[in-house]
Amino acid sequence: MAESNRGTFFSGAGLVWKWQRLVWWLFFVCLIFGFYSTQEMTERASFLLNNSAAAQRLVNGFDFSSIVTLQQLPDSPLEIQGHTILHFSILFVILMLFATGGILAAYVLGEKPTTTAFFEAAGHHFWRLFRLLIYLVIVLLPIAGLAAATNAIYTHIEDTSISPYPADHVVEAAAIVILLLLIIVRVWFDMAQVIAVADDEKKMHRALRRAFTLFRHNFFSLLWLYLRVSIIEWLLFALGLHVWMFHLNPQSVVAAFLVSQLMILTWIGTRLWQRASEAIWYRNYQANHAAAPAWSPAPEPMYMPVAAPSPQQ
Amino acid sequence: MQFIQPDDKNTDDHTVVQITLPKPIAPGASVEFHIVFHDVLPKVVERTGYAHDFDMVGQWFPKVGVWWKNAWNCHQFHANTEFFADFGTFDVKITVPQNEIVGAGGDLVSSATNPDGTKTLTYHSEDVHDFSWTASPSFTVVEDSWTGSQGPVKIHLLISPGHESSSQRYIKAAKGSLQLFDEWYGPYPYDRLTMVDPPHGGADAGGMEYPTLITLGTGVHMPQGVLAPEVVTEHEFGHQYWYGMVATNEFEEAWLDEGINSYTEVKVMDALYGKNTSVLNFPFAQMGESGLQQIGYLADPAKDPISRFAWLFYNNNSYGGITYSKTATMLLTLEKVIGEDTLRQALHTYFMRYRFTHPTGEDFLKTIEEVSGKDLHWYFNQAVYGTQVLDYSLADAHSDPLKWWDAAAHDSKKSDKDEIYRTYVTVVRKGDFQFPVDLEVKFEDHTTATEHWDGQDRWVRYHYDRKTKIESAQIDAHNQITMDRDYFNNSYIEDANPRAAHKLRNIWVFASEWLSQLLAWLT
Repeated sequence: MAESNRGTFFSGAGLVWKWQRLVWWLFFVCLIFGFYSTQEMTERASFLLNNSAAAQRLVNGFDFSSIVTLQQLPDSPLEIQGHTILHFSILFVILMLFATGGILAAYVLGEKPTTTAFFEAAGHHFWRLFRLLIYLVIVLLPIAGLAAATNAIYTHIEDTSISPYPADHVVEAAAIVILLLLIIVRVWFDMAQVIAVADDEKKMHRALRRAFTLFRHNFFSLLWLYLRVSIIEWLLFALGLHVWMFHLNPQSVVAAFLVSQLMILTWIGTRLWQRASEAIWYRNYQANHAAAPAWSPAPEPMYMPVAAPSPQQ
Repeated sequence: MQFIQPDDKNTDDHTVVQITLPKPIAPGASVEFHIVFHDVLPKVVERTGYAHDFDMVGQWFPKVGVWWKNAWNCHQFHANTEFFADFGTFDVKITVPQNEIVGAGGDLVSSATNPDGTKTLTYHSEDVHDFSWTASPSFTVVEDSWTGSQGPVKIHLLISPGHESSSQRYIKAAKGSLQLFDEWYGPYPYDRLTMVDPPHGGADAGGMEYPTLITLGTGVHMPQGVLAPEVVTEHEFGHQYWYGMVATNEFEEAWLDEGINSYTEVKVMDALYGKNTSVLNFPFAQMGESGLQQIGYLADPAKDPISRFAWLFYNNNSYGGITYSKTATMLLTLEKVIGEDTLRQALHTYFMRYRFTHPTGEDFLKTIEEVSGKDLHWYFNQAVYGTQVLDYSLADAHSDPLKWWDAAAHDSKKSDKDEIYRTYVTVVRKGDFQFPVDLEVKFEDHTTATEHWDGQDRWVRYHYDRKTKIESAQIDAHNQITMDRDYFNNSYIEDANPRAAHKLRNIWVFASEWLSQLLAWLT
């Protein structure tokens, strides 16, 4: 299994690279949303700073007190418009939810995702994936409860222990457990999405049940498939942040832009890598277990072609 | 004996008690009080109390009011006020379990173990107006010393578990502060300084001053670039001068200790850690003490004058912003009027003249006027006793051909060098605070014009007829008027430079994209 997993891992990367148009497309949408959500703030900042010598405090370094002062200006303060950013982020989430069906269809089929095929598959699966999102939120509630319980335990230990370490260690341990649980849930739902698309599964509770059984039987294999891409994702992000914060010339705008956008690009790319690997893994699994599926009893004809028409059709 | 409420007549307030003697005290006679009192320490709040096995014992005994200006001065305890007490000698015996490590604002005279598993420590302290102590079996003791103009000073640092990595940062800040205060303002006369680092969960005991004992504050993973341990050490040490020795009335004129101390905090921290990096020092973000005080002041600059009684401020934010930060920025701005060295000399004179006494704000301001040789009433009336806000703005700056109607003249390339431009620069006083400002105008041919405006009128306009156009105009080019509410409108550069706005946009766009990606994890 390890050998085939390694193959899936690299095949996933290959698939993302082969159809990198998907990555670029998502990246540019995200970038455009980012620009639009910050347009008003930028115009205001330009008005205040472009002709002011005091702006040098932000050019030659990044004087934190200048930022606060800008926000405190009596006539026209430079407000951080968090609500605008949030609105555009929610819009992006909806778009991602829509695009996921098309992305998964392309990866499951292993065929070039034409625009027509992509959007047909995206539209076909949208409401199914939306229902899965609702299920996901419900599943995440106990994890949120665990986080709240951790906070209560932390407060209790902090009140009773003279040393800061026990409380810190509890938080660190809880953070690892919660992160692991989040990853497990994500892999489970990723596989449910793959099943929903690959098998044109209409009942999402059934897709979840099948994905759960599949994940239970291949727990470490699927977890490691997801986790190692995540580790690469986190390392690249940390590296990018480190370069941006500690190594770039403070005056540099272009380099900072490139590094920050490279971080977003790799983040999107690695997420699609996870999805491609999972889709390939499932495709291989189907091929290897066609006669005896892992889940039982089979509720529906399970190996229907995906709904998205292939380009040849 | 009865409770009195001299400040607000709130009869529920039982923080001041008045004792009527059976007979008056004759001139030259004395009376001795033996006061038995019982304390129950609270869970740490307002810089006193216990947390786990840590005890910070401050404001723990009945304090006698101060006979001052021919009357008893004894105020109620208010949320925003600190304290006022007279100088004296303290002989204190503290009995604690034998495993306790004790620090106190006095010299340890003797230590005796008792048969019941306790020990009794005796402390002696002179020329102080308060006495506090701390105890915990979990302290790690770090000893150091510093020698100043009046001999060696023992530094006792009591560090709590998990905070050991901040030990040397505390020590370095304390020794640096001792050195600069000794050089600039006057000698530190005590032979000890006890520094207490409260434990995890006891942070409310941190950041407080008592004579020769200060409480600090840090975290387990305090980054080197966040100079919070240094700032709190310097600030609380500074109170040894502005509160400890120059013992002003913190109820009535809190700015004289907290405000002057915030000013000297700027000077000392900037000297020790860099002008622009004395609060935050990362390659990607910086902040200096001056900036910290400026944003503290600008948060709410106009509700209260500096001189207001501490308990009468509009709210806690106004009290903090005005008392600490406005006073600091007021004194930083005063440097422009009388010079930094003169102000330092004035503080030195003020300290040497009024140490171990209870001076007033008037004493302080008169000392500045005396040392500087200038009448500064115009400034103090606005900055100390008023709520005026200072904001000068460079409203307009542009160059146009002088003979603008002569199209032929300035359409001809040949005559470009000979074209005379009229440059207008308009400075506006947007606030109600009047302050003299200097204007510096730079032209494209690298010539410069400087103007000095008394800042009295609402606006002033200068014009220049030169064979060159304006490059930039700036008021307060050296950023000395720190009270200016908006220093972004102090200048005009002809060639717009969008770099700062682009830097900000980079960060905002990234934050927006990153939030999108985090939320997209759900899909």
